[in-house]
Amino acid sequence: MIHTVDISDMKVSTNKEDILITYSLGSCIGLTLYDPVAVVGGIIHCMLPLSKIDPIKAKTNPYMFTDTGVQALLKAVFDLGAKRENLITKVAGGAKLLDSKNLFRIGERNYTILRKVLWKNNILIDAEDVAGSKSRTVLLYMDTGKTTIKSGGKEVEL
Amino acid sequence: MNRRDEILSKVSTIPAIPTVIAEIRKLLADTDANFKELSQVIKYDLGLTTNLLRLANSAYFGFTKSVNSVHQAVVRLGTKRVYELAVAAAVAPMAKRAINGYDLSAGKLWEHSVAVAIGAEQLASVLSINLPDYTFTAGLLCDIGKIILGTFVEVNAEPIMAMAFKLGIPFDVAERRILGIDHAEVGAVLLERWNIPGCIVDVTRWHHKPDGLEGDKLVVDLVHVADALTMMGGIGIGRDGLNYRPSPEVASRLKLTTRINELVVCKIMSGLNELNNIFTLKVVDGSKNGS
Repeated sequence: MIHTVDISDMKVSTNKEDILITYSLGSCIGLTLYDPVAVVGGIIHCMLPLSKIDPIKAKTNPYMFTDTGVQALLKAVFDLGAKRENLITKVAGGAKLLDSKNLFRIGERNYTILRKVLWKNNILIDAEDVAGSKSRTVLLYMDTGKTTIKSGGKEVEL
Repeated sequence: MNRRDEILSKVSTIPAIPTVIAEIRKLLADTDANFKELSQVIKYDLGLTTNLLRLANSAYFGFTKSVNSVHQAVVRLGTKRVYELAVAAAVAPMAKRAINGYDLSAGKLWEHSVAVAIGAEQLASVLSINLPDYTFTAGLLCDIGKIILGTFVEVNAEPIMAMAFKLGIPFDVAERRILGIDHAEVGAVLLERWNIPGCIVDVTRWHHKPDGLEGDKLVVDLVHVADALTMMGGIGIGRDGLNYRPSPEVASRLKLTTRINELVVCKIMSGLNELNNIFTLKVVDGSKNGS
């Protein structure tokens, strides 16, 4: 079954027949985690770097923010039996406008915070397609853990 | 006929918008007209009446007591909201269609449009700026030209994409170089045909290059930034992605900061959730959707 992960949302799966998909990441960060041994996977689509911008919102929806969201996704996959040493970690998004003066740094900040949270959790990024100015759709195939990026009508493996 | 003329001639094939909009506008321009007259015009339009009542009772405005007549709703919301809703209702069916040229599935351009409209208002509110009446509508309509230009972008997608993404040229500039016109200008021509007020037409025309607009730039500045933040949020973005150039002059005129930008993105998401049933949007954040 195909499960859509909305903006500021997270989904996890243990079903080999599932495909998780999140559409049109702009400056948002999309993180996919997959443990091929336990067959546990998940995607989160975080919009903004830090939850302190709106603590009330962060309580009702921690997935909106990279700091609280990534932590929540890690917890969710660990709770389902994923092991840190088996995790395959892929990142997409963090795009920016043609912003030579760096006025709008949401994408860059999302990516920095993501790196920080992963580093704190002792997790390395296996593959990424970040920055630039294109919109990206991310798919995670639960049978193999294959992760693809769709952008401008083309789908490529990450 | 060159490409530009061919595109402009397509504008005349788009249907006119309902006459109720012109009637409302006339009443709003007439300072003697009162709420009662306005309510009379609206109450024969069932869709508009429904939406007006929903809006007046929505969380977006934070009123606790509910209203149940058109007259009360107009009094509560003010006459400008009535015009906004009438315009929104008129363009929604067109803006909700899929636009293949921009790789936008059904509903996406509409989500983007409503998000920009909310963003422009919320940015003004965060900056404590007293915003002109037409800000919401100006935001809502800024990308309407895509419904026409999409067909032409689709045919010439390859050279436009190459110019935009390989050479790093803003997408609207690439449209102009390849097609002779960009979606902002096509939108402005369409809105002129619909007799939408000139101040709104100007915002549509200049929303990607706000410094080109002569005179007061406040609304175009707000819409320019709201559009940028909406793109960054990934709300209703397509083939053109984030491939647009934000104006440093606007950022300094509005004294934007990282905090302000991110706060407004938050408020756009909340606004979309609160106005979801009025504008029939698909975008909802995870807190409402469960996971």
